This record gives sequence, structure tokens and C-alpha cells, in this order.
Amino acid sequence: MAEQEYTVASDSENTGEEKSSSSPPPSLPEIAVGIDIGTSQCSIAVWNGSQVNILRNTRNQKLIKSFVTFKDEVPSGGVTNQLSHDQEMLTGASIFNMKRLIGRVDTDPVVHAAKNLPFMVQTLDIGVRPFIAALVNNAWRSTTPEEVLAIFLVELRLMAETSLKRAVRNVVLTVPVSFSRFQLTRIERACAMAGLHVLRLMPEPTAIALLYAQQQQMTSHDNMGSGSERLAVIFNMGAGYCDVAVTATAGGVSQIKSLAGNAIGGEDILQNMMRHIAPQPQEASSSSTAALRVATQDAIHKLSSEDNAQIEVGDKISKVLDRSEFEEVNEEVFKECERLVTQCLRDARVEGCDIDDVIMVGGCSCIPRVREVVKKVCKKDEVYGGVNALEGAVRGAALEGAVTSGIHDPFGSLDLLTIQATALAVGVRGNGNRFVTVIPRNTMVPARKDLFFTTVNDGQKEALVVVYEGEGGESVEENHLLGYFKIVGIPEAGRGVPEINVCMDIDASNALRVFAAVLMPGCSSPVVPVVEVRMPTVDDGHGWCAQALNAKFGSALDLVTLQRKM
Amino acid sequence: MKCSYKGSAILATDYYPFLYKRPISSLPASFPSTSLSYPTRTRFLSTRIQARLIHDDPVKQSEDLSFYDLLGVTESVTLPEIKQAYKQLARKYHPDVSPPDRVEEYTDRFIRVQEAYETLSDPRRRLLYDRDLSMGFSFSFSGRRRNRYDEEVVEEKSDWKKKWQTQLSGLKRRSSHRDNNTMSWAARMRRQHNTSEDSSP
Repeated sequence: MAEQEYTVASDSENTGEEKSSSSPPPSLPEIAVGIDIGTSQCSIAVWNGSQVNILRNTRNQKLIKSFVTFKDEVPSGGVTNQLSHDQEMLTGASIFNMKRLIGRVDTDPVVHAAKNLPFMVQTLDIGVRPFIAALVNNAWRSTTPEEVLAIFLVELRLMAETSLKRAVRNVVLTVPVSFSRFQLTRIERACAMAGLHVLRLMPEPTAIALLYAQQQQMTSHDNMGSGSERLAVIFNMGAGYCDVAVTATAGGVSQIKSLAGNAIGGEDILQNMMRHIAPQPQEASSSSTAALRVATQDAIHKLSSEDNAQIEVGDKISKVLDRSEFEEVNEEVFKECERLVTQCLRDARVEGCDIDDVIMVGGCSCIPRVREVVKKVCKKDEVYGGVNALEGAVRGAALEGAVTSGIHDPFGSLDLLTIQATALAVGVRGNGNRFVTVIPRNTMVPARKDLFFTTVNDGQKEALVVVYEGEGGESVEENHLLGYFKIVGIPEAGRGVPEINVCMDIDASNALRVFAAVLMPGCSSPVVPVVEVRMPTVDDGHGWCAQALNAKFGSALDLVTLQRKM
Repeated sequence: MKCSYKGSAILATDYYPFLYKRPISSLPASFPSTSLSYPTRTRFLSTRIQARLIHDDPVKQSEDLSFYDLLGVTESVTLPEIKQAYKQLARKYHPDVSPPDRVEEYTDRFIRVQEAYETLSDPRRRLLYDRDLSMGFSFSFSGRRRNRYDEEVVEEKSDWKKKWQTQLSGLKRRSSHRDNNTMSWAARMRRQHNTSEDSSP
């Protein structure tokens, strides 16, 4: 299914330090643009030589709705397509929320929640990619989230090229914290399909952190080098995802101490409210459902500033919603926000009272209850006011674009650095069905760490290295499969004798490579050539791979950690 | 506005349990795999860079530096000073800001600086480290000698590790019995410096 995409994307595999290798030798380095692909809206910005400039489309919009309509021969996205009414997006001909769907399989609850959307999301619940289709002239035309995103990105790229009067190739994109490496490859693939070369995929709150670092540096230039470090909690909640970061900032350097995130956002709140207002399920692509969605959305927005809101849908629904009712219906969502912030603080080993600033961004950060929850956990009365809730991420991405493109600013506005941390742990299957962490969550990158393993069977000549990524749950099933490879040629020996070193390396552009080497006692160098594998290697149907490996090999090629060899 | 740093409280309550229950994990998670020479960032590793890595790599010399040396601070450094030193070094060695032709070696250096920072910025780990340092061990844990592949180092390595573990299980006296092979160059130097004028670098 994805073969042809593979060839397109292969040039994006070569991300790294020497990024402008394939572009013609320019006199000035090409400044990478920053793109914030939101679940509901996108924006694109670039460093213009003295500051960040958010680009506008022909309708003078900075924030562009993320959707693609498959109405005619040529699909058109939100950049060029003018909707006369919000409901026009909800006829089934438009695909949106692609960021919630990209890189997910059909057993994922997030995919199941998307079945209420007006376009088709068909699931067979067997762990393969869902079937997604748009209604074109009364026929379902199939597509994929990557394709939809690519179409949208092409429009965004053309818009930027028109506005900047130059070719745009290098980009820095913001992504949710909770994205697995597999999902990140899907984003890279979509970019490659759109002719864009990804320099960095930045977790959204880290883009905000960079912007904050710049502001701190500008407002207190005398602090530079004085070592005064400011701790900030960054809370970002949009339509699709909620992300939290704790960052320590000093002298333009933003050091990410911890990250936490989940696929929870405005879309969940909206669906909760729609179910609350109209409990009977209706045809998802019907016009009444569309009307309900639009009316509910409006009411939710209104409840951020007012105590109650009126909802009228046709002649069937007329209801006054008050804020406490809204908060009760979405209690679970707010609890999850609280949990994420608490976890992030704990992981950073800081307490609420250590925090200097609380920064809240994203559409949902306007919801009073969300603000209350975050302020309560961080023990702050005020929220930092210097970052625009809807533009912060794209501004941060544009700054990172300029920094990674090697641009220097004479006034020091780009003397910035983000030291990223890993959002998820990576490790291998070992000790039975356990997830053995090699690089833990919230490790600063670049990072390189290794562990020693050994064989479980006497005379075991081969071993399977199965790489997983996740929050660090104990069994491998709680984590995502990233790939696997086999070590062959282990000399015949009793179990526990061969020493198998598994080393993981994450570079500054977040590429993960896994090395494995076999050592024997009394032998100083690896007995077989070292294996190096770039992860992830899996494609769709991750769960299947793990099951198939299990069925085929059982525990014959298993590994256990070598005690006292850490 | 800030609370006082909670490190001392942690030390008072947790220090001994931490030391004795989890001696191994109390160290920075990664450990040098001396015998292994995994490639660094292979994708753009030119022969020119490789040659430099092997022959006159300034980073290599840093492998035997103590964490304090790596951060360029003295052993009496305070926590804010450690943080400041770390951030300044990050601005120099982080691959995002280092000169394109030195990314490889600077990344190596950055990872080492990071480990030094992680250890020294955690009061519990710093205490352990200081103790070991005072006994003559230079625990520059990930002085990843990935560019050295002489067999001697392997022996040294596993021996050294065994010794260290024995030591942790309580036989601390063992550490005073030493033969030169079990210690890093810096450790030898330090000891020689402390005890006699005899030197053989």
C-alpha cells in the first residue's frame, strides 16, 4: 500500500546536520520555515532577518483551518478554499482531524472516536490502518491521513513561496509530545510527499519553550551568564492533543526537563458535549449532525467567557447550557490535564512552588476550568502573559528553523538553544515479555546508552532484538513496537555466557539507531560484525509483527539482562 | 519566590537506603562499553573526520577527565554554578550550534558533559561521585572509548568493573589494593600525584 511513498520519503531519512546538501549552493543558507500543523488549524512562520513573521494566505488569515475537500477533480485544502459556512466542512467531502488519525491503527480508541466524524473512518479492529474516505459525488473516495496532510502542506508551501518569493524546502514542524516514532515517520512522509524536508520535529511545548527563552533573554540581558535559571511549566492543549513540558531557561538556553502528553483535546470535549446534548446517535454525515457540531462548538467557545450559552439546532434542540454542566460532562478530560501536569512536575523533580512561570497555549487553554486546574497544580495565581496562545508554537518553530539553519542575528535574538528530552522511553523486549528500558523517558538528547544482555538457552546461536517505545510500562504490550532484527552467529556456549550489548543512539534531529554487538568472555572485540539498525522499521500492523514473531520463535531467541553488567 | 532546594532533605532521609539498596542504578544509567566501537554519526562521517577522531581528537583526551573537569568547575562548585557551566558548555558543544565540521566530536563531548551535569546536579549522585573520586577513581562513566580498540582496554574495563562492584558490596578495602591496569589514566595520575613523585604518564 505504501511502497511508492517509501521511495519519496527515503530522502527524508537523511535528515541530519548537513541538511542543505541537496539544495543548490546558496549564498545565504535557506532559512527553514516553521509550521504548526494543528488538529483544527495550521500556521506557518519564518524568521525574516530581525523577527518572526507569520505568513498570511490570500484571505489575510494567519490561522488556517486544517482540512482538505475532495469535491472536484483537484482536492483543495484550507489554505485556498474559502468556506462559506462552517457546516460546509461537515458534508463528508472534507477530511479533517488528520493529526488525530495519522499513524494510528484501527484498534486505537482515538480512531474509534473519529467514527463520529462526517467522513468515513472504517475500522476492522484487527490492528491495521483504518480505511478513510471522503464523499465525492455520492461515492466514497479513499485516502489516507498522510495524503490529506501532504495535500494541505503543498498548499501551505505554495503560499509561503508566493509570500517569500523563494523556494521553500526546509521546515521545522511542531508535533504532539505523545507521538510515537512511527507517527513521526508518517509526518515526515507527508512532508516528503509535499516536497518538504524536515529539519526538526519539535514537540509543541518545546517550541513554546524556545520562544520563552528568547523573551527571557531579551527582557533580562544582564541575566546572561549570571546563572539565574527560570523554571517554567508549559501547558499546550489544542483540538487533538494535550502536552506539558517543564523547562529550565537561562541565557537563551532552554533545557527541557520533562515532557508529558496524551491524545486528549478539544475534539473530545466537543464530542462529549454533542453526546450530552443529543444522546441519540445520528448519521454522522447528516446535516443535522453538522449543525449540532457547529452549534456545540460555538457554545463551548462562549462558555469560556460567559456563564451560560444557548444551543439551537433546527427545531429539535433548544437548550441552555451552563458552565458547571459543561465542567461536569468533561470532568474526565480535566482530570487527565491535571494528571499530565502532575506527572510532568514529578518527572522533572520539581514542585509547584519551584515554578517561576506557567505558560498556557492552545485553543483549550482558554477554558476556565483548564486554567484553574493547571494553576492549582503549579501553585500559581497568574498565567504568564507573554505568549500568544494560538501563535506561540509556530513562532517557536520558526525560531528553531532559523537556529538550525545556522542563521546568526547581530542583536543576539537567535543566540538560542533547545536541549530536547525524549518524550518516550525506548528499550527492548527481554526477561520474558518485559520492556527493558535502554534510554528512559526525559533523557536529554543527543543521547547514547547501552545495556548488556545474554542468551536464555544453552547453545543459542541467534537472538532477537525487538525494539519498543513507550511510557515505560512493564510489559511490552503497553508500548509501541518500533522494529526488530536478529543477531546471528553467536558462538555456541551455555546460556548466560555470551554478552550481547545493545546500544541506542538518539541524535540531535531525534533519529534513533540501535546497535548490537556480541562479546564472549576472554575475547576483546565483537565476535561477529556489529549490527546497526535505524528505527523505526515497522510499517502498518505493528501488533501483528509482535504476534508473528512470538508464534514463529517463541522464547527460542530471547534475551535477558545480564546482571551486574549494567 | 523559589523554594529552597530540596536536595539536603533528600540526602538526610534517603542517602543510606539509596546507597545500599540500589548501588548499581545509583550510577548514571549508561556505562562505557570499552570494547565496542560503534560508529558515531555515520551518515556523514567522512574519512577526514574519521582520521581526526582516531588520531588527534581533542575529545578523546577528555575521556579521562573527571566530571568537574568536564564542566570546567572546581570541586567546591555550587549547584547554580553547575547549571550555569552546563548551559554555557551546551551552547558550545550542542550539535545545533557547533560548527558543521565538528558536529561529530562535539556531540560526543556534549553527551559526556551531559552525564557530568546529570551526576553533579543531583546531590545524591554527586555525593557518591565525590566519595569515589576521593578514593582515586575517576568515574567518567561514559568516556566511551569508541575510537580505541586495543585489547588492553577491555581487560582493564571488566576488571575495573568487577572491582567496583565488589567495592560497592562492602569490600571497600579492596580499592586500596591496586595495580595500574585497573584504573584510568587520570586516576593513576591523581594517585601518583597524591602519593609519590614517581610518574609514568
